[in-house]
Amino acid sequence: MFEFFFKYPASVFSKGSIVLAGGWPVWLLIVAILAAGAALAYFVRRNAESSVRVKGGRSAVVWVLQTLLAAVLLLLLWHPALSVATLRPQQNIVAVVVDDSSSMAVDDAGSGSRKNAAVNVLNSGLVKQLQERFQVRLYKLSDHLDRLEAYDKGGLDKLTAAGTATHIGDSLKQVLADAASLPIGAVVLLSDGADNSGGIDLETISEVRRQRIPVHTIGFGREKMAHDVELTGVETPARALPDSRLSATVTFHQHGYAGGKAKIFIRDGGKVLAAHDITFKADGVEQTENILYNAGPVGVKAIEVAIDPLPGEENSRNNKMVQMVNVDKRTPRILYMEGEPRWEFKFLRRAVEDDRSIHLVTILRTTQNKIYVQDEHGDAPKNIKDGFPTRVEDLFEFDGLILGSVDAPYFTANQQEMMKQFVDRRGGGLLFLGGREALADGGYARSVLNEVLPVKLPDRKNTFVRDPATAELTAQGRDSLITRIEEDPQKNVERWKKLPYMMNFQDAGQPKPGAVVLVDALPTSVGKFPLLTIQNYGRGRTAVFATAGSWRWQMLQPVADKSHEMFYSQLLRWLVNDTPRRLMVSTPKQMLNDETLVKLRADVRDKAFLAAADATVEAHVLGDGVAETVEMRPDALDAGVYTAEWTIPKSGSYVVEVTAKRGAEDLGRDVLTFRRDDGVAENFHVEQNRELLEKLSSETGGKYYKPEDAKKLGKDINYSEAGITVRETRDLWDMPAIFLFLLMLRSGEWLLRRKWGVI
Amino acid sequence: MEKVKDSENTAATRVSTRHAPRVLMPRAPQAQAVLLLVVFVTAWAGQQTIQPPREFKEYPGYEYNNFPVPEDYLDKHEWTRARLKYPSFLNVHGYAADGYNRWTVDYPRSDRHLLAGVRRLTRIDTKSVEQVVDLDGEDDVYNWPVMYAVEVGYWNLPDDQIAQLREYLLRGGFFMCDDFHGTIEWENFMRVMKKVFPERRVVDLDNKDPIFHVLYDLDERFQVPGMQYVVYPPHHMYEYDGFVARWEGIYDDKGRVMVAICHNMDLGDAWENSDDPTYPERFADLAYRIAMNYFIYDLSH
Repeated sequence: MFEFFFKYPASVFSKGSIVLAGGWPVWLLIVAILAAGAALAYFVRRNAESSVRVKGGRSAVVWVLQTLLAAVLLLLLWHPALSVATLRPQQNIVAVVVDDSSSMAVDDAGSGSRKNAAVNVLNSGLVKQLQERFQVRLYKLSDHLDRLEAYDKGGLDKLTAAGTATHIGDSLKQVLADAASLPIGAVVLLSDGADNSGGIDLETISEVRRQRIPVHTIGFGREKMAHDVELTGVETPARALPDSRLSATVTFHQHGYAGGKAKIFIRDGGKVLAAHDITFKADGVEQTENILYNAGPVGVKAIEVAIDPLPGEENSRNNKMVQMVNVDKRTPRILYMEGEPRWEFKFLRRAVEDDRSIHLVTILRTTQNKIYVQDEHGDAPKNIKDGFPTRVEDLFEFDGLILGSVDAPYFTANQQEMMKQFVDRRGGGLLFLGGREALADGGYARSVLNEVLPVKLPDRKNTFVRDPATAELTAQGRDSLITRIEEDPQKNVERWKKLPYMMNFQDAGQPKPGAVVLVDALPTSVGKFPLLTIQNYGRGRTAVFATAGSWRWQMLQPVADKSHEMFYSQLLRWLVNDTPRRLMVSTPKQMLNDETLVKLRADVRDKAFLAAADATVEAHVLGDGVAETVEMRPDALDAGVYTAEWTIPKSGSYVVEVTAKRGAEDLGRDVLTFRRDDGVAENFHVEQNRELLEKLSSETGGKYYKPEDAKKLGKDINYSEAGITVRETRDLWDMPAIFLFLLMLRSGEWLLRRKWGVI
Repeated sequence: MEKVKDSENTAATRVSTRHAPRVLMPRAPQAQAVLLLVVFVTAWAGQQTIQPPREFKEYPGYEYNNFPVPEDYLDKHEWTRARLKYPSFLNVHGYAADGYNRWTVDYPRSDRHLLAGVRRLTRIDTKSVEQVVDLDGEDDVYNWPVMYAVEVGYWNLPDDQIAQLREYLLRGGFFMCDDFHGTIEWENFMRVMKKVFPERRVVDLDNKDPIFHVLYDLDERFQVPGMQYVVYPPHHMYEYDGFVARWEGIYDDKGRVMVAICHNMDLGDAWENSDDPTYPERFADLAYRIAMNYFIYDLSH
């Protein structure tokens, strides 16, 4: 329709610019229009004096219509035209890229697979149409780009729809690389857009735009599956202590099962670790569920998260995901310094004594000049028996630190600074408990440790109050694993409400920005105070548990009740779980689905946890029939960080042991596992991603087509700034739309005059 | 002075009125109704039963009825040692009835002296007065995790109190008993204790046990006699056939002492009479050291 009235397709107007090809100056056109308008005004006014029926407003309308008519006619004399760049016939190449990933094998295109639909579009005239004006190069796309034989030599027959991944961005980069030496005028991409490399990066889009190559896309496949459940993400910690309670955040969406019920299972090698009931929300709505499970004993776990296939589900291969979890064989040490013998000390020690993943070393001030050191495991630094560490190396042997009712002046300035660095530089966890000599009452507001506290301490004394108070979870506390003493979130809230009262609490002040209050204390007297507040600080984390009265959760509940033990065990595990060792190796992805490159990063520190920038770091990779040593190179910007990339030769599980040395000094070792799985990525996002294809087209000056509209592509593709082009000037004066407009002006005036009774 | 009837021992007890416990006492019926309403609404809304520990209450002792109450007896502190109020036999030795409450022997002078010692010798933040507790089926006893009982050779706990003592100990409570002597009293003590823990044995505490080293090194221990040592020359060290002091205990599953048994000695008398110039200082000294070690041990294990 557009082309009928305006002579050319809309895309030509969008790519071209309107010019006046007559050669006369534009100012003369303006003068001529003004002169015509003035002359017409004179005549219309003179006629109005002699006419009874065309006066005032009516004469003005007549003048406007006649002036417009004159202006359009004058404009036509100046020869309006469209200047547009077009590809020179037979001198340009059009790259036709066909998605050959396995998602193109999905049979939802109406007449067979998506691949067949794409081939049909090409065979039904599109290629011939293109070949009339261009050379056509065929490519197939999956996790990389391959060139196909020429169309006439049966190039399309090589399409198998068996590629293990879809990397549109990477493939476009390869086309652009060809364009550096070839006159590629346009790209035609036939795909379902089911990219599984995380989308097309801005760098690739920018490069395409810089080279002005329009990417025209033809989309295949249904945009929504009729009946399908798809997991879209699973997040769970990559490392854990043995028997830790972990949370898996599972996101998913579905079509066709709104309101239905299902179960999410978490399995480890077939053993069900957790099962969680879900009710599906509306079609297409992203849902998130947090599921708790136990990490179990030491070992590398391939944690499978799955929703079992539902009746009539079209694609059940996207119902499960696997994440690697390393359950470390390590036992973090926590040093608990207590300034007075008290119940909280006794019952905290008892609460975690069965937790084999935590070694608690305690120093208790029994009298003014005596301490009592308890190190049941015997693995604390030897000079701990002399009291709180005075050397960084000794303090940094611990992963966590607890300060009870011990006032700040008990420590030297150096020890206080060490504790601050323990959190900031060493990355340890520091927990402050309430007490008559703790927090503000212990003088910490004037200590360097004030900076690491998650609360702003009140500037007064007597903040420790021996009055009854109950504990209540905050909104954040309801979601936290630290405070989860019942599996079910709602039951957990109720459980906390029924915990026995504490007989003391401390006004620790308000949380600092970035800190999170998990539990409030509700005194029976007045007010509400943050009871458990946590935050991250530097490389570590700090917390305030502003009471010395949680021991009643043990004494005032039946002996079988484990809420006190669970609370302290989870709090202390949180305190130390992420405390780094001197050498920590990590990778952005432990599960590499149809990816071949693993990136390794090692953070190396000396005994004082200062960056070891002069270390020799090696990664020893072991897999099925693979044993290779990779040298890790220091990062130019981040001291103490060493990186390496390694190409995974085949699918399977791999263990990498990273060692670091500085001269003869051993700086430590760390082990990481990763796994490459092939043929997984294409199981996900199998619907047509029209949004991605449309965005790619619009960003590059191309256009998105449905398969049935693909024939229009033959004309649109001529207009491009890339390749070998010629700038053409297309006349506009003979557009039907102009003559219609002129006709409307004249007929409009005639109709008005008739209405007014002049004619 | 208010007289109240002791429900279990049918003996008169006394509530100290010198410093009345801080209990809200509404004066008008309207105020009473408002208070009840507030209590009801608070309990309903919070879904928690707030039953703070019972206030300090003084009972008449066999030996002391006017022992001064310290000025700061109402001050709130972290800790105090509880004294178990238990039902007792009138006599276990087969002759004339004693006619008094065995649990109040040495009370409260012994307790007050001991607590002053705790303040002086340790960093425990203790009250100046003891807390009398009862295995009455209520939860209050669990607020006082360290408990002392005197003259347990006479105790006669019914089954419900035995069950509660067991629960108390398994939850983490610590029980110290003292001032019982000879075979007969031992057998009566064990008759009850075997019901508390049929599955556990009473054992001699080893010298190497931390309980004897946590504060003071107490390898050298000796029998601590009661006041009979002074009153009945020539210095009777023992009572009945309790010739040798026995430091015994019951361990929990983690190897911690949860019941500390001081048999054939009278630490209570030693604390009680530690301000008496006629009572030998060496006995009082050991009695205090034993108590400090036991208390610190309990608070650290």
